[in-house]
Amino acid sequence: MAGKPVRPVNAIDQTRRMLSLVTYLRERPGARVEDVARAFGITEDELVSDLDVLPMCGTSFRGGDLLDIDTDGERIWWHNPAALAAEAAEPLRLAADEATALLVAARAVATLPGLRESDRQALLRATAKVEAAAGEAAGASSRLSVTFESEGGVFADVDRAIAERRRLWIRYYSPARDEVTEREIDPIRLVSVGHTYVEAWCRRSEARRTFRLDRVAEIKILDEPSAPPEIELRDLSEALVQPAAEDPEVVVEVGPGGRWVAEYYPHDSADELPDGGLRITLRTPEPASLRRLALRLGRDGRIVSPSELADSARKAAREALAAYDGIEALAAADVVEAAEARGPQAVADGPDGRGA
Amino acid sequence: MAIAKAERLMNLALCLLGTRRPLSKRELRDSIEAYVEAFGPGNGAGGNDDSFNRMFERDKDDLRELGLVIETVESLDGEVGYLARRDSNRLPPITLDAEEAAALGLAAKVWQQARLAGAASGALQKLRAAGLPEDVDPYGSHGALEPRIPVHEAAFEPLMLACRDRRPVVFDYRKATAAHPEQRHVEPWALECWRGHWYLAGWDRDRGAERVFRLSRITGKVRSRGGRYTADVPDVVTVRETVASWAGEITDRSARIRLRSDAGYPLRAKATSVRELGDGWDELEIPYGHGLDAWLVEFGPDVVVLEPAELRADVVDRLRAVAKG
Repeated sequence: MAGKPVRPVNAIDQTRRMLSLVTYLRERPGARVEDVARAFGITEDELVSDLDVLPMCGTSFRGGDLLDIDTDGERIWWHNPAALAAEAAEPLRLAADEATALLVAARAVATLPGLRESDRQALLRATAKVEAAAGEAAGASSRLSVTFESEGGVFADVDRAIAERRRLWIRYYSPARDEVTEREIDPIRLVSVGHTYVEAWCRRSEARRTFRLDRVAEIKILDEPSAPPEIELRDLSEALVQPAAEDPEVVVEVGPGGRWVAEYYPHDSADELPDGGLRITLRTPEPASLRRLALRLGRDGRIVSPSELADSARKAAREALAAYDGIEALAAADVVEAAEARGPQAVADGPDGRGA
Repeated sequence: MAIAKAERLMNLALCLLGTRRPLSKRELRDSIEAYVEAFGPGNGAGGNDDSFNRMFERDKDDLRELGLVIETVESLDGEVGYLARRDSNRLPPITLDAEEAAALGLAAKVWQQARLAGAASGALQKLRAAGLPEDVDPYGSHGALEPRIPVHEAAFEPLMLACRDRRPVVFDYRKATAAHPEQRHVEPWALECWRGHWYLAGWDRDRGAERVFRLSRITGKVRSRGGRYTADVPDVVTVRETVASWAGEITDRSARIRLRSDAGYPLRAKATSVRELGDGWDELEIPYGHGLDAWLVEFGPDVVVLEPAELRADVVDRLRAVAKG
């Protein structure tokens, strides 16, 4: 599987796996290393390291009945399956964490809008069966939940285009430039990490691009075949959009009310300021896109550098204010009227900051 | 070289599962090479009993973490023995078809947090050992779909365990607009992930009320506290509704704005009505929830707020702050 992170050896995970392995191998003399590794979702190297440990295990060291399991690298042989009493080789019940991990994930995937109905039904049936088999161990799984967001209709079209290997035409919104552009893309995969994205080969830029489904304004499946070049899929354990080292640097200073910036923008550093704010250094291929950030921050923060960016935010704010000049008098009248209608409450006590 | 922990745990598990009568601590110590090697035989002569006992207790806890039910039985002559009974450790019969197996195969890959990723794989392996079909490629029909549950917050694992075991916790929490963190004593109920961020719902002992916390705002360590919960845990905990209202998505008010014709697609997508004015501007009616003022300001001179006056005042106020910058 592309992008699978290398797992460190963890004694608990390995013990858990070996316990299932003895049950599995007992039923399958001469099982192939390749097949067993796939069935267990591990690499062949991980399996071979388990097979190195198993001959040191048994129900009694003194009694000499260690498990005589070995492999020629292709097949796995167990020469004394009777060394393990039938009851020590039965499938084990699920632990609370195991039931939680599997059930929460299955329920989460089933929430994906646009998922094929047959897949959703299979998930729901499997979830119900696992809940029943897990019994009490399933109880704690209700204490964790995950929702994936996706635009159902767009998702279904992308899914179909991938399955039928067809090109897509989309109108896509770019927040950096606040514009909607048309492009043709060859979809590669759908990725859900909170929001759902399609990773695709963009025919306009001839490059790999990631599109967030809720920013797709319109979509059509074309008759042309999709032909993305062979590209290596990235590991998704990191953020989807990683700034490049050569991207220009932007420095932003925020007060306590602007600390959310550090949670939403990948950054190189965030240093504490004495007033409880942060000095954040980040890189972006399009610094102009941060004009929106500067506008949004208001008095909660400002762009320190580059200065052209700070200037363009100021200029945009002045232009925007000019539009209110004409209705200022009207506004003043409205405010008085509204204030009278609602009593002595402060007019400007609106919602502030970014709560979430 | 010391014998690997996995080998020691595996031997302990097989001994406990394979026995029909309770095994004493001494029998187990003498049967398992890793214990003999580390502590010598259990004849009472060595001075290693305390360290053996500590390791033995930890090992039993680790096996319990894997789901093993280990019973402690006291015999008539007062000796304590241990065993993992067949009845309490056997997975009940479960039959899954190929589609269901593929669905679980997909689900087992979703966690990006080490502990839960390990647990999900472990669950799938147990089901595999119990005969979960594998003749189809488990990821076949979903080859192009990769859901991932991100967990970047250090507070996640201790809070997950605290929710599971119903243990009160204490942590430092910095509210969205606060300059400094504050200590909070919480009885954790549930964790929920929405739009890629984790939230905790629980009973806030300091406030004497239910509260939702965003995990990324927890600073420092989450520490467990002894004792029981003082407030009842509700049957249904709703985190998402609270967070959605913070995000301004739950509202029954609306605002009227003017928007330049080629700009602001997301505002159009949210609008309940759009009217072309014919002068290069459109008039939109949009839901007016928490944070709308900050969002509208992002569009700079492409948006003009018409009403309500309160929203217009907020937007003008923000624009003035930037213009002065």
